[in-house]
Parts: sequence; structure tokens; C-alpha cells
Amino acid sequence: MSSTLNGPADAAAPAAPRRSKRTELLEQRPVNRDGFVDEWPEVGLVAMEHDGDPTPSVRVEDGRIVEMDGRTREQFDFLDTFIADRAIDPAVAEEAMAIPPVEIAHMLVDPKVPRPEVIRIASGLTPAALLEVVKTMNVVEMMMAMQKMRARRTPSNQAHCTSARDNPLQVAADAAEAATRGFDELETTLGVVRYAPLVALGLLVGAQAGRPGILTQCALEEATELSLGMRGLTTYAETISVYGTESVFKDGDDTPWSKAFLASAYASRGIKMRFTSGTGSEVQMGNAEGRSMLYLEIRCILVTRGGGVQGLQNGSISCIGVPGAVPSGIRAVLAENLIAAMADLECASGNDQSFSHSDMRRVSRSLMQMLPGTDFVCSGYSAVPNSDNMFAGSNWDAADFDDWNVIQRDLKIDGGLRHVEEGELLAARERGARALQAVFAQLGFPAITDEEVEAVVYGHGSEDLPRRDVVEDLKAAQRMTEDGITGLDVVRALDAGGFPELAAGLFDLLRQRVAGDLLQTAAIIDREGNTRSAVNDRNDYAGPGTGYRPEGARWEEMKRLRFVTNADNPEA
Amino acid sequence: MSTTPTAGAETTPTPATTPTPSAVPTGASGPAGGVSERTLELVETGPAGPGTRPDEVVVALSPAFGTFFHRTIVDVPLATVLRETLAGIEEQGAAARVVRFFGGSDLARIAHAGAKLSGSGVSIGILSRGTTMIHQRDLPRLSNLELFPQAPLLDAEAFRAIGRNAAGYAQGHSPEPVPVRNDFMARPRYQAKAAVLHLKETEFVEPGRAAVELDVRIS
Repeated sequence: MSSTLNGPADAAAPAAPRRSKRTELLEQRPVNRDGFVDEWPEVGLVAMEHDGDPTPSVRVEDGRIVEMDGRTREQFDFLDTFIADRAIDPAVAEEAMAIPPVEIAHMLVDPKVPRPEVIRIASGLTPAALLEVVKTMNVVEMMMAMQKMRARRTPSNQAHCTSARDNPLQVAADAAEAATRGFDELETTLGVVRYAPLVALGLLVGAQAGRPGILTQCALEEATELSLGMRGLTTYAETISVYGTESVFKDGDDTPWSKAFLASAYASRGIKMRFTSGTGSEVQMGNAEGRSMLYLEIRCILVTRGGGVQGLQNGSISCIGVPGAVPSGIRAVLAENLIAAMADLECASGNDQSFSHSDMRRVSRSLMQMLPGTDFVCSGYSAVPNSDNMFAGSNWDAADFDDWNVIQRDLKIDGGLRHVEEGELLAARERGARALQAVFAQLGFPAITDEEVEAVVYGHGSEDLPRRDVVEDLKAAQRMTEDGITGLDVVRALDAGGFPELAAGLFDLLRQRVAGDLLQTAAIIDREGNTRSAVNDRNDYAGPGTGYRPEGARWEEMKRLRFVTNADNPEA
Repeated sequence: MSTTPTAGAETTPTPATTPTPSAVPTGASGPAGGVSERTLELVETGPAGPGTRPDEVVVALSPAFGTFFHRTIVDVPLATVLRETLAGIEEQGAAARVVRFFGGSDLARIAHAGAKLSGSGVSIGILSRGTTMIHQRDLPRLSNLELFPQAPLLDAEAFRAIGRNAAGYAQGHSPEPVPVRNDFMARPRYQAKAAVLHLKETEFVEPGRAAVELDVRIS
């Protein structure tokens, strides 16, 4: 028997230990292609339970916070100062800080404690105190809390529309499809940043061709992003990053005050805007100051509130591989979403970046937000194949549409999407592509050919499209900036190019900026053209039988799938 | 400008103040194009000043490039990275100069600082793990000409193409951008490792230390 155990008897070469077939099989599973790392507390490579985090404390004198989380005002860094002066209500701080963290966690979970009361108490909590609250909670309790605490009653979803070749036509057609499938916000970004104005134009036109009222944004360097917004080529902004340590903030040439100034620039033009942050960014950039990822993220959340911004995209976002690689990291990601909601901010809750090779991990990570519902369950579901995703891949992509719809139907939870018949999709894609073709022709840009339009209507990704002349397109993109082409010019081009209805829809969208309704927390424009926000669609969850539940026409729509057997015609 | 009392205090920096020959020379540098791995020697020749050649591309390296680190995140030897980048620049007939930055480990900072020293205003910034950017001094620091954010996808050929394009910009042309590769599973596999590598590189940052010019010897 010993020869079987030890392999062929070969005195010279020591035999490798015999492997179990089961271990070999497990090692081939997708989950083992993910990267995992051990905690490294000294540099902050810890999700949310870290001895290096401060102990909660607060002292208020003359209506001013003079001590916070063990530091006096003289010891404050600029985040502490900004948070103490702008984000915490000194009138509530001592009352709130006197409540044991576990009791606040009970208030979060208990449906009988109304959301406004939890918001009031949370407005007096310091970063370390907020951390202590969520540390007492498991993920089911956090989901319970999220169901009550999200700002908008109706959940929604947001998509990425990008192209590996920065092809504006592909972005237009995919935006039209994404809008038809139910996404309320669409964003794009670039491989080559100089393509930005042209791709932002493709997204704007394509989205409106899908359905009027879809908001669009283009993730770029912040000054360029602002310029596109001011010119009406985008209708919201999201990629305004804030960080949890002073040194990382400075690396971006920024302070909380400069970010608040940028926020006010958007507000001055009536443009919807949210900040972006997430666990892991500071440790990824090498300056976590020995704190846990979640403690630093809580500082970002409070900087957002202090800046007067209506909302935040968080949930680790582009750093998801970092919390995803350490123990309890995905729980920390849910905790940061919950704390954003406790800060009374719109929360676009992540699920927007490739996270795992394992389909099981992909889904379990997303159920944390999908089950309770958030303002945007994904802050970037890839409406294009991930091979075309220039945000470096999303946790969900165009190949997952049917899975998403089935999960919604199985659990009767609203993830914002619907199944759309192919004919309707093709019509939307063609409308988006033709509209952009007309706009290009009107503006004298390099022609979009009929062959390209046909390819994009029936194609899946950029590989299915004829190549465009990139150098000529880049000249057109540069001209857009030099000539100062605005959203209004796009309206005119659509009108003159034979798309008067699209022109009218886009004009209405630009007019929203004057009304300012989109500046309210968690605002979207619904399919009836109404602005829906935490003001007129306030989350009123108060336990079983209350709050948002899919019903009526929306539930009927959610029941439809690609293949469903029907008793009237069971052989179909 | 208050300083955070704990910044970096818990880590024990082990700065390599003077770059030392990175690897043990193998087999008398081996036959030309041989299989043995190239070695990279980076010798400091003095402070890096502004360049005068109008067609110059500055290659700006991160603090631990070729000293603590010898390979990118996917094991491309840094000797190869630098050799191919320089070959790409030379192939276009432009001039190259290699400098090292100690003041930070942030790619935009390194690349933009390099661009400011460059006679043409064009630079290539490269981090030890392979992340690379072509920058131009008149652009905002957080913008760039071309960015290659996914280090796991950069191979020898990509670095040569990046060198060629940077040279093209330096000569006043508008080259077609190097095709950006995209692997949406790079993050799940490499992001946490990249964080660890970056934290390591950051331990070599020496705030306030000026950039130095490097003599590059690849054998």
C-alpha cells in the first residue's frame, strides 16, 4: 500500500505529495482566480474592525464642536475641521453621542422608529460613532435598515454605456437600448479622453432616443466634466471624488472646500450632481494613515453631507477588489451604503465594477443592495459587453440582462429593469443611431454611414462595427470644444435633421436646469416625464405592508420574461 | 496645511537612498538576445534639470523602480520595460532622458513632473508595477495624452508602442493612440495585489527630495 500512497518508488527524486482530486477540482473553480490578501493593519488594509480607529467622543462649546473622536480642534486635520463645522449638527451631537451604538442600531432595524427620527439622531454622530453603530450589525440587519433609510421610495438603476473603441455610434445605440430596458441614468467614459465630447454627444442623443428624460454623464477629469455639463452635453455629474485622508485629498490637488466649490458650480447651473467615494481608495493610494477602510469612508460620506451635495456614489466603486480581498469587506461595503442613507444622501450603491470571477460571489455581493433596494442599485450596470466597458468592467453586463430580470421576478424585488421584446429593442437602437447620424451630418462631423448604422443595430459589441477614422473623429471632438457647441445646438441639429420629437424631448431636459427640481435629493425623471425625488417620492417604509412594493403595471411588466409557458398556448 | 500625526508613522520605511544594481549579473550578460534575463542598472548622474532638445521625451520613473522592484505586477522585467520604451522613442528618431522622482508614488504627479522637465513637454511616467501614462506639460495634472491604467495587460510590445507614440507627440505629430486593452477580470485578480505593491512603493517616497537624472545600463 505504501507504493500507492507515495507514488512510483524512485529513491532519487522526492515525489510530490499526492493531491486529492477534490482539492484539484476546487482549485480550478472561478472563485480561486480571485485575489485575496491578509489584513495589514499598519497601513489600513482592514475593512471595518481595526484597533487603530479612534474612539467616539464629542464636546460642544458655544454651539461649536471643539473635540471630536479624541482630537481637539488644534489636532484636527482639514477633514475633521470640515466635518465638525459643516456635517455634524452641534445641537444634536451631545444627545446622539450619549445613546449607546447598539441602541442606535436597534432604531435602524426597528420599522416602528420613523426614518426622520433616525436621520435626526444620525446628524449628531461623529465618524467613529457611526462606525461603532454599524459594527454591531450583521448584513441582514443592515439590509433591514437600508430598506427604511434609502431616500427615494422607488428604487432605480443606472448603467454604463461605453465602447472599447470610443465609438460614439455604439454608445448611442446602447444608450437607446439601456433606456428602453429601464435604466434612469446612463454614464460613459473614454479610453482616449480627447474623444469625450463626441462620445458624450452619442450618449445624450441615444439616451433620449430610448426614452425622453434619461439623465446622462461623462466621467472625466473634473474641469472637463464640468465644462461638458455647463454646455448641456451632459445632464448630471457623478465622478467628483472625495477621500478620507488629507494626504490623498492633496494628491488630487483638492480639499473639502474646493470640492464644495465645484459642487456649487454644478448647482449654479441646475445640474444634478453627486460625489463619489468608497472603501479602499486611501489604502490603494498608499495613505490610509493606519485607519480601517470604513472609518475613512465614513469621513468621505460626512464631507459629502457637509459640502451640501445631494448624494453620493459609494460602495467601494473602482476599489472593490481591495475590500473584496479582505475579511468582512463586502459587509463593510453595505455598511458604507447604509451610512450614506443615514446621512440623508442619495446613495448610488456600487455594484458597478467587476468584482469576482465567481458568479456566486457576484450575485451575493449585489443582493446586499438589490434586496432592500437603493436609490440606484448599480451605479453602473454595464449595458454593453464587459469587453467594451471602459470603466474596466462591471459586476453585471449585457449578458446578464435576463438573469437580472428573473431574479427580480423570483423575489418580487424591483431592480429597475424589464424584459423588452427584440423588435422594440431594435427599433430603439435604430432610432438612436439614426438620430446621431443626423446630428453628425448637421454639425458637419465625419459621416456615419448606413452600413455602420445597420451594424450597430444588430451588433453586440465594438468588434461588430466597422472601424471609424479615429484621427478625423478626434478633430471633430476638438471642434466641438473650440466652437463651443452646446446642448442647444444639438437640439437644433436634431430638429433640422428630421427628429423634431427628440429635439423637443432634449429641449425639455435642458429646461429642467432652470426649474432646478433635479437638485433635490435622489431626483430622476420617470417614464411619465415627472421629476421624482425624496421630496415628492419620500421613502415611507414602516414595516410589513408599507413602503415601496412592485405592484400594478410595474409588477405585470416584471413578470414578463423571454420564455414563459402560458396555459392558453402551452406548446408555443 | 496641518499635518496628520499618524501619516506613515506605523510603517517602517526602508528607503533605498542610492539605487544599487538591481540584480545579480547573470552569466556574463549572456549571448545577444539570449534567454537569460536582462539586468538593469540605474546610476544617478545628478539633479534632473529642464531639457533643451525640442524633440526630447522624458521617461519618469517611480521611487523604487529597478531598485526594490524588478518586475511589473505580471512579472515583465523592468529591464524589458525600460528597454522597449527607450527603443520605441529612438525608433522614431526622438531623444530620450530618464529621470527618477522621489517626491511621490502617484503616477499623474510623476508623469506631469517629468513633462515639466522635458524639452518637448512630453513625458512617459512609469510605476514599478507597470502602470504608465503619456503626459504633456500644458495639460492639467490629472489629465493626460494617453493612460494605460491596467498594468497587468502591458507587455513588452505595448511599452515599445508607448515609446513610439510619446516620441510622435514630442515631434509635433498626432499619432493614433496605442489601442487600450481591457480585461475586466484584472481587478478581481490583481487590485488587492496592486494595493500591496503601491503601499510598498510608497514606503520609498522621500518628500522634498529632488528628481535625479539616471544613466541606464541594460545588459
